Amino acid sequence: MTDAPRAPRVVFAGLASCFGCQINITNIEEHLLAVLGQIDLAYWQLTSSAPMPDEFDVAVVEGAVTTEEAARTVRRLRERARTVIAIGACAATGGIPGMAAGDIAGHAAAVYGESTPAACGSLRAPAPVSAVIDVDFTVPCCPVDPFDFVRVLDAALYGSNRLAATSALCGECSRNEGGCLYARGQMCLGLVTRAGCGARCPALGRACNGCAGLSPDANVGAARAFAASRGHVPERFDEALQMFNAVALAAAGKE
Amino acid sequence: MLYRVIDRADVPSLVAALMERYEVVAPVRRGEKYVFAAVSDFDEIELDYPSTVASPKKYLMPAIQTLFEFDTAANDVTDYVDEVRLRVLFGVHACDINGIMNLNSVFNDARYPDPYYAAHRAATLIVGVSCMPSEHCFCNLMDSEEARPGYDLFLNAIGDKFLVSIGSVTAANILEAACDVREATDADRIAFRAATRARQEAFNPAIPDIQEIPMLMDAFHEDGFWDELGGRCLSCNACANVCPTCYCFDIRDTLDPGAKTGRRERVWDACTSPQFAMVAGGHNFRSAPAQRVRHRMYHKLNGFLATHDRSLCVGCGRCAVACKVDISPIEVLRFFERKGAEDAE
Repeated sequence: MTDAPRAPRVVFAGLASCFGCQINITNIEEHLLAVLGQIDLAYWQLTSSAPMPDEFDVAVVEGAVTTEEAARTVRRLRERARTVIAIGACAATGGIPGMAAGDIAGHAAAVYGESTPAACGSLRAPAPVSAVIDVDFTVPCCPVDPFDFVRVLDAALYGSNRLAATSALCGECSRNEGGCLYARGQMCLGLVTRAGCGARCPALGRACNGCAGLSPDANVGAARAFAASRGHVPERFDEALQMFNAVALAAAGKE
Repeated sequence: MLYRVIDRADVPSLVAALMERYEVVAPVRRGEKYVFAAVSDFDEIELDYPSTVASPKKYLMPAIQTLFEFDTAANDVTDYVDEVRLRVLFGVHACDINGIMNLNSVFNDARYPDPYYAAHRAATLIVGVSCMPSEHCFCNLMDSEEARPGYDLFLNAIGDKFLVSIGSVTAANILEAACDVREATDADRIAFRAATRARQEAFNPAIPDIQEIPMLMDAFHEDGFWDELGGRCLSCNACANVCPTCYCFDIRDTLDPGAKTGRRERVWDACTSPQFAMVAGGHNFRSAPAQRVRHRMYHKLNGFLATHDRSLCVGCGRCAVACKVDISPIEVLRFFERKGAEDAE
């Protein structure tokens, strides 16, 4: 008789972020035990101070890479894990830390003065995890939808026939039939943001701030022109996009 | 076709009678717009609405529809569990009824009948209502200004009365029990003709009436016009989501938390989606927005006509409202008008 198959071993790693995405995963509440029942949760700083094991199957990473130490951490995760899942805007796009990507030295000096404390580590321009290692799956948004995370974890464990789509958010918003926020004078980033969240913020009357990340098929030029036609100058549009997409915009600017 | 006349004041009684057996879905106001939604009282209904944000298609092919459920532990499949309600789509314009006729011809195709669509359609009564065109309407150019078959009742407004076209026995019985139903008089028929003429004269003259659209679509297949449209497309699918006749879908499995049980779902998809024409191995047959926009317009204005003998586009104008960057069949018609003017020079 052979042993029952070993449950896949999963580790969580937290980089530069608020840890809100990891916290949000616990919001699946009554489903938490069912999800944890499928895996061997071997390392999660939020629940245990035990050290990260040497061997694991799936590495879940929250947060942006902002130090050389963090870059080494994700490289080590990549070497050991069969599957790497980046969760949350910080890991997926650079997110909020990414806003400092253009001038990390200047920002450190503004906060710490001449000498940055050793505890900060060796700072580098904040970047999404995918800028340092290959990432197999991404769960976007700030914070992640915990059920979206569960779906992606399942895809990592069992495979999935769901294709990652890159359409922009306006289409999902039109399904909600709430009317366009531009008609109410608001500037909304749904024009260029990747769909998938269900356009929940616009459905609640709040403009999209782009936390799901720029769609790889985003037409930023046409979106800027449309926003301008509604009285929002391109500079304002670009500035709003910086909140979650500074790294992608800087990369696009270099091309 | 049987015609009867009722007073406008009798319509609440008709709705109340329908509500006894059916969920009534009708146009209601939402902010500055109108949407189709379930109502519980006649007073919620806005019968004189210009158009709705999205079409009533969502009640016949829901955006997410469960095809079956599965249980991996029991190795069991439960067939078709989607709830099918007895429902009335009340206050549907002629363009949307023609749109539903197009959906019927796709999903009720005898070679590949679609049980999921058929179940919803069979449980649905359709009560149409006449309308006056708004800025983006061009149903008159798409042979969809009138609903011929495709409804159970159609309410043609004639002053403070409706000339009701009766399309089914079920609906006729409900109508007769609920309302003071009269034979149409010559005066009613004159009023109906006047109302029809008033509608015909109210279409936006800035939307050009183009003859031989399919031939022009083929003639200008390689024109730079498509790159112009593609160059500003946001790849958002808003056009397809609000369209009464976009019927493409994807199928995917969704697991419940814990992955022991799950569902196979059919979800709306669209040829404007960047991944729509991507195949195994990663090749994308329409990787550029211009190719996708052109494909959509071809299907709406040309391709469907070849197989189903009518244009898939019914001229409801919703995509023209939903699109942020002015891509719609109206722009295609205007392009053909410009080409015609150039040829005439």
